[in-house]
Amino acid sequence: MDHYTQIQNQETIVSVSGRLTFNDHASLRALIRELCDNETKRQIFELSGLEFVDSAGIGMLLIAREELANRSKELVLRGATGQVKRVFTVAQLGKLITIDD
Amino acid sequence: MAMQDRCGIVPDSDSGPIIDAEQLSAVRLDGSAPGDSRPDGPGETLVQWVGFAEVQKRTLVGLQAELTHVAGVVETSTLELSTRFRELAESARTQSRRVEEIVGLAQSVVIDDEQVPLDEVVTSMQALITEMINNIVTLSKKAMSMVYLLDDVQEDAVALEASIADIDEINRQTNFLALNATIEAHRAGEAGRTFAVVANEVRHLSRSTSELADRMRGRVTAVVGGIRQGHDILRLIANTDMSPQMLAKERVDKTMESLVRQTNHFQSVLENAVASSDQISNNIGLMITGMQFQDLTKQQLEHVGDSLSVVAAGLDDLVVKTRSLLPPDLNPRFPKEWLDQLLERFTLGEVRQRFVRRMLLEGSALDDHGVLEVTVGAEADPAGDVELF
Repeated sequence: MDHYTQIQNQETIVSVSGRLTFNDHASLRALIRELCDNETKRQIFELSGLEFVDSAGIGMLLIAREELANRSKELVLRGATGQVKRVFTVAQLGKLITIDD
Repeated sequence: MAMQDRCGIVPDSDSGPIIDAEQLSAVRLDGSAPGDSRPDGPGETLVQWVGFAEVQKRTLVGLQAELTHVAGVVETSTLELSTRFRELAESARTQSRRVEEIVGLAQSVVIDDEQVPLDEVVTSMQALITEMINNIVTLSKKAMSMVYLLDDVQEDAVALEASIADIDEINRQTNFLALNATIEAHRAGEAGRTFAVVANEVRHLSRSTSELADRMRGRVTAVVGGIRQGHDILRLIANTDMSPQMLAKERVDKTMESLVRQTNHFQSVLENAVASSDQISNNIGLMITGMQFQDLTKQQLEHVGDSLSVVAAGLDDLVVKTRSLLPPDLNPRFPKEWLDQLLERFTLGEVRQRFVRRMLLEGSALDDHGVLEVTVGAEADPAGDVELF
């Protein structure tokens, strides 16, 4: 997984690309800490470049949501396509995380 | 010759003049003189008429018998047809019931001896898969939380090992200080005797602390090893991708939808089949009712037959009366051409043969022996085929 973070209009936008799998757990944890500590309330994961997510990736996104919620911050998943969008749909992730298409 | 025996008439080709001039003069009604050679005088006409009337009477009787025969055939055939149509109607009803049973079964399946509607099966299967996916999501999240937790614990274990190393260092310095204190106490002589005891105790304490540190190191090493092993196992678990199993729901959903759609289609087709069978059954019922009107036809034929017998009887009376006016030895002429024309109308060979036999045999000794009862044409036409033309 590769990611690039930018802050626009008091929103943090993290553009994620490649494959989000268990192997990314350390770097994603570091990213979550970074997002918890920044000033913005709304953290957006821009996922149009993400090709694949495994079940561990779904678990990590839920942990991210929880960690941010503990700091009164919102996580938004945006622009998922292909396998990522299908997994989000069958996992009914929209019930737990804001999904913005 | 048989015709002459029965009817008292002969074909005009078989004999010469039917009546002589003298006989003819006795029956002439127009007052013409005997010996008049006009062939169509009233006397001659009467003789011709008697011949015709004899044949016509027999024709009428024959037609009446034919009508009775036809009425019988129609009745027998109608009864046979009715029976077969009833069987057909029953078959159609049985088919309707069977198809209705299938319609009833099509919308459900048997699970553990219990009839479960198909839509319930689909709903419960989908609920089951959704629950399974929710469990996968929850477990994935918990597994990752565990991984992060054990990452932290491993960091703490490394810090703990470092702390034990610090204790060792402190203990080494303490031991060194106690040793120095002992040496200094010995140098001080009697004045340092008490201090030497204290220094010795400190050395004992230091040794005990060293032993404790060793035990702690052993335990901590075991705990950290266990944690690392658990961490590795957990990583393996968390690294097992369950997303293909989650996506299997799409396939299951599509399969279920297809199954329901197909079943609905089957049901619709089967319901149409039931409606068609019912329609067939009803139509056959109407046909059977319609065929029961053959009784009316039979009565009409009997009426016609009765009328014919009345006509025949009237004709017979008239023949007897006319004959009484004619000389007793007068032989009326047999109307062969007329009879030929009549028989040409009987295009069905069976009917023609039956009619001819009746004309020839009725009232004879053979008739008394039941020859007329034998079905004509049965030998010649065993398959019962109908000669149409």
